[in-house]
Amino acid sequence: MTEAKKPILEVKRLAVKRGGRTIVNDLSFEVGAGEIVGIVGKNGCGKSTLLMAIAGVLSPSDGRVTVNGASVWGATTDRNRARTSLGYVPEAADPPGFLRAGELWALCAASRKTRPPTSELIEAFGLDELRDLAIDRMSLGQRRRACLAAALLGPPALLVLDEPDNGLDVRRLESLVRVIQDHASDGHGALLATHDAQLLEQLGARVVSLA
Amino acid sequence: MRYLVPVWLTAWMRAVLVPAWRRASGVWIGAGIGAGIVFGPTGMHAHDLTELAHDVPAVGIALAITWLLVFVPTARVLVHADGARFLRSLPHPRWSPRIVATLALLALQLPWLALWILGDGLRGFALVVALSAIIVVLAAVQLRPRRVHFPPWTRSYPALRGVYLRALKRRAGDALVRGVGLASLAGLVAALFVRNNGLVEGPAAVLGAGAIAIVLIPGWAGALMPLVEAQRASAWLASSLGMSAALRVTVLAVVVAGVYVAGTLIALVAATIAFSKLLGDSASLATLVNLSAVALTCAIGMALVTTRALVIADRQLADTDRTLVAPVRDVAGAPVRVVSGAVVASAAAVVCLAWLGVLGAPLVVGAGACALLTARPA
Repeated sequence: MTEAKKPILEVKRLAVKRGGRTIVNDLSFEVGAGEIVGIVGKNGCGKSTLLMAIAGVLSPSDGRVTVNGASVWGATTDRNRARTSLGYVPEAADPPGFLRAGELWALCAASRKTRPPTSELIEAFGLDELRDLAIDRMSLGQRRRACLAAALLGPPALLVLDEPDNGLDVRRLESLVRVIQDHASDGHGALLATHDAQLLEQLGARVVSLA
Repeated sequence: MRYLVPVWLTAWMRAVLVPAWRRASGVWIGAGIGAGIVFGPTGMHAHDLTELAHDVPAVGIALAITWLLVFVPTARVLVHADGARFLRSLPHPRWSPRIVATLALLALQLPWLALWILGDGLRGFALVVALSAIIVVLAAVQLRPRRVHFPPWTRSYPALRGVYLRALKRRAGDALVRGVGLASLAGLVAALFVRNNGLVEGPAAVLGAGAIAIVLIPGWAGALMPLVEAQRASAWLASSLGMSAALRVTVLAVVVAGVYVAGTLIALVAATIAFSKLLGDSASLATLVNLSAVALTCAIGMALVTTRALVIADRQLADTDRTLVAPVRDVAGAPVRVVSGAVVASAAAVVCLAWLGVLGAPLVVGAGACALLTARPA
């Protein structure tokens, strides 16, 4: 008998409060190796909040989040292992605006002890033109591309993407789909929140719906 | 068009003069504190200082360079008028904004103007006008951004430190230039204060370090706000990359300490120049050694106290900002907390020095370490 493969992301009975209001309550799901999962739900239902808690940005009030068996909100060693195994792109927040894209990638690469973007990534997202550009001088689409490249460095075991298609033109959207699919086919996982059902269909994602 | 001119000019003045005044206010505070110390009841008169500047060229040059450094950032706002870019697309008068800007350029130099008119009369006024021309030329210069190389960061600590240093360089460039000027001013004030009171060695070090701690408050405070903004803007990124809160606070403390120590070193260089011209060699060497030790130790202690204030400001911002994206300046009270942190740090240093003399300096470091270790990060 073969041992069941451990999921990359495990979310167990997760609850998140913001401003005294419960946004996410008693949520459990998993993302397996090679799997793409889409979080869907109406505006304000807590998709971004959920992704922040998974990415280690917003502490949950209850429950457990593990990446490759290490708890995102556990003891220092465990939490560092978990967080360096995930690449996160938030919906609204940008990296510090005074940083150039090349510096953002260097920061992420140093934290994950990995190398700068590969030639495939540079080609897919047209990163050459962004390298010397300050984040606060970029258009929305350029900022998304810079952040996606930062999140993909490593590559991480789990991608956590909040509305990753925001501001991307048709060509870059195709690249995004290809990059996420390649990432999953390499045995990694991807979790994304989006309103775009067509994108999820293109990716062949399993859908988790938030009420 | 005739009816539109007053409206346009009022809007232009709000867009240009108000930000220029905000920048100048820090310089006025620093110059006011310095003047209070140098021209206090037992101190010099304006005439003594202007005469000293004429008689000892090194002092005159040091004073002029100090004023250039502190005022060029304010002049840049008037010369470039970036806040009024949109207004330039509307029909507008050609000369009136230039005349208003020229008058503002002189009026915002009031502390400097007052010193030279009171001390040197019309000749002093002419000197200020001549220096203003140099200030305008320097303010008009715009450096082209340099191409960035991929930073060779291999670990989280140097990477995060590099991020904070870039925040200082790119967001606080003008504040740093003004800080260098205020640091020179602080050094000159410390030297003149010591000279006027006829002090040497320990007592001179205590009074000199106290003067530097007070005069440099606006200089240090100008560089702190971009650091809080960098701390807040990088918070989500650092958290998702597995950088602990302790690491972020450590890096912040190191960078703040760097700002404080650099400011103090510049003040000490200015004080050394002034000492070498004003006091005898033997007196100045012993006094300088004492002053350097006390001032640098206090700078580290003050930096730790200030870092605590920044950590608390960051935590309060994190509690307020639910979206993670609100600019720090838009969150009520953040700049006030940052500036009051710098004021409290300097006040603590002055109290410790007044209470224990030279031994007050290590006490400032101890108090700073306790303050920082008990701070609860976001």
